[in-house]
Amino acid sequence: MKLYEYKAYEQSEMLKKGEISARELTESYFERIDEVESKVDAYITLNRENALLSADDVDKKRASGEALDKLAGIPIGIKDNISTDGIKTTCASKMLENYEPVFNATVVNKLKSKGAVITGKLNMDEFAMGSSTENSYFKKTKNPFDLDCVPGGSSGGSAAAVAACEASLALGSDTGGSIRQPASLCGVVGLKPTYGSVSRYGLVAFASSLDQIGPFGRCVKDVALLQDAIAGHDKMDATSVKMDHASTFDSLTGDVSGLRIGIPKEYFGSGVNDDVKASVMQSVEELVKKGAVIKEISLPSTDYALSAYYIIACAEASSNLARFDGVKYGYRCDKPKSLIDMYERTRSEGFGREVKRRIILGTFVLSSGYYDAYYKKAKLLQLRIKDEFNRAFEGVDVIATPTSPFEAFKIGEKVGDPLSMYSADICTVTVNIAGLPAVSVPCGYSKNGLPYGMQLIGRHFDEKTILNAAYAHEMCFGVFKAPKL
Amino acid sequence: MNVDIKHVAKLARLKIDDSELSRYESEMSDIIGMVESMPDIDDEWLVDENNAMELRKDELSDDKLSREQILKNAPKVVAGCVVVPKTVD
Repeated sequence: MKLYEYKAYEQSEMLKKGEISARELTESYFERIDEVESKVDAYITLNRENALLSADDVDKKRASGEALDKLAGIPIGIKDNISTDGIKTTCASKMLENYEPVFNATVVNKLKSKGAVITGKLNMDEFAMGSSTENSYFKKTKNPFDLDCVPGGSSGGSAAAVAACEASLALGSDTGGSIRQPASLCGVVGLKPTYGSVSRYGLVAFASSLDQIGPFGRCVKDVALLQDAIAGHDKMDATSVKMDHASTFDSLTGDVSGLRIGIPKEYFGSGVNDDVKASVMQSVEELVKKGAVIKEISLPSTDYALSAYYIIACAEASSNLARFDGVKYGYRCDKPKSLIDMYERTRSEGFGREVKRRIILGTFVLSSGYYDAYYKKAKLLQLRIKDEFNRAFEGVDVIATPTSPFEAFKIGEKVGDPLSMYSADICTVTVNIAGLPAVSVPCGYSKNGLPYGMQLIGRHFDEKTILNAAYAHEMCFGVFKAPKL
Repeated sequence: MNVDIKHVAKLARLKIDDSELSRYESEMSDIIGMVESMPDIDDEWLVDENNAMELRKDELSDDKLSREQILKNAPKVVAGCVVVPKTVD
């Protein structure tokens, strides 16, 4: 077994016992990257030299007897919308092709202070807008389970890198499903933490009331390990919440006796593939055998969630992306004739089609005469969706649904049809609208050998319960099965 | 419903080529068609008046970034200043 094949928590133990060095582990990942990256295209930027230096630093500290964190020496990939000091952070956009931040995101500082090794920056849909990673300006990432298929998105590079063992762990961001959906399509575990539990300082904003940074791993324990490292209050993010975050890693027992699992009928409707539904229900039945109980519930506004999501997300995006004007950083058009000409050509040449489409939609729903009909209605719907979840959680502890309504689709299949692409998010957007935590875990494989994912949604700040349920499921279903590359 | 793409694009400081206009129009009309299915909601009671957003107090911080660092990513810099096209005639 190669070093890169071990789970992060196992590698951590091996490092601690001195069975391997951080340099050996990091080298193992870069050898793997050299072997498969040309097929997968998960990375935009590799951080090889600095990664080896950080690994050596960890080895030196360990040799001198210093007590180190569990993540010390673990190679981690970072989505390319999370700021890294001195390493390009492009958001997979021509607009930021040469942008090199002069500061680290809080999550990156946290990882570095724990001795984690940054392998590089991972591909994504431009400005995190998309569900297939095909909207990247630079390259199309492939699904390691079938190189003709998409890895999902927008954190497709993060999911693919972890599935292909090109990183031990990865960070992504999730605004409407961008961690959970690619995790589902690539057969790995992905957690969207509660809104406010992880600092977004240094995350390039898409829709600030929905955006959340979260972890990817090849098993539930690995995801818990990374979540514990990044959670916590940060004064640099006004939405981050002051509270104690007890270790989720140490709380994983796999005991689900008495756990009440809600099954919302609206998530098992006609838009979801029958095989996906069957495999989620089969997984829930396994948890029932271990002592959990099923309760049918209803979340009636689910059908309208996608509409509310696209209105709120695009409205916020149109405002957030106004900063890209060619003045202080990023792309600037050639020979501008006037200030307005510079703004318009810079933005039209620097942004891709999907980003422009969403800016136009967002500007429209906020414009005079349409605000009440669209934006205000969507915000009221958001309150109703939150209220429905709150009521549901009075009677259940977790809610189980499919993550993606279908398996990974072919590259090019949906890219010309925005509505069909948006439908990939029908099971995930409600969670962002309500600010809840949710994890996606592999729960089956299609006849084409492509993974399905089950989504477990929890109460605000109750990552512990959903991760424990996910861990119990993993004990029945088995851990990550690596694709042949 | 048809969206006046040229007008909205102007508000967003985007320039849409005439050749692309019809594609944007038809895509936007599909999207608006989808979101128009949202029900009318009289749930104003759901708005919690007491839950106003808590704003962070302004505070001075020791900014360790140098002028050079801040200007590092600017497209055009002369004498330590960002250069833009003439704004006033």
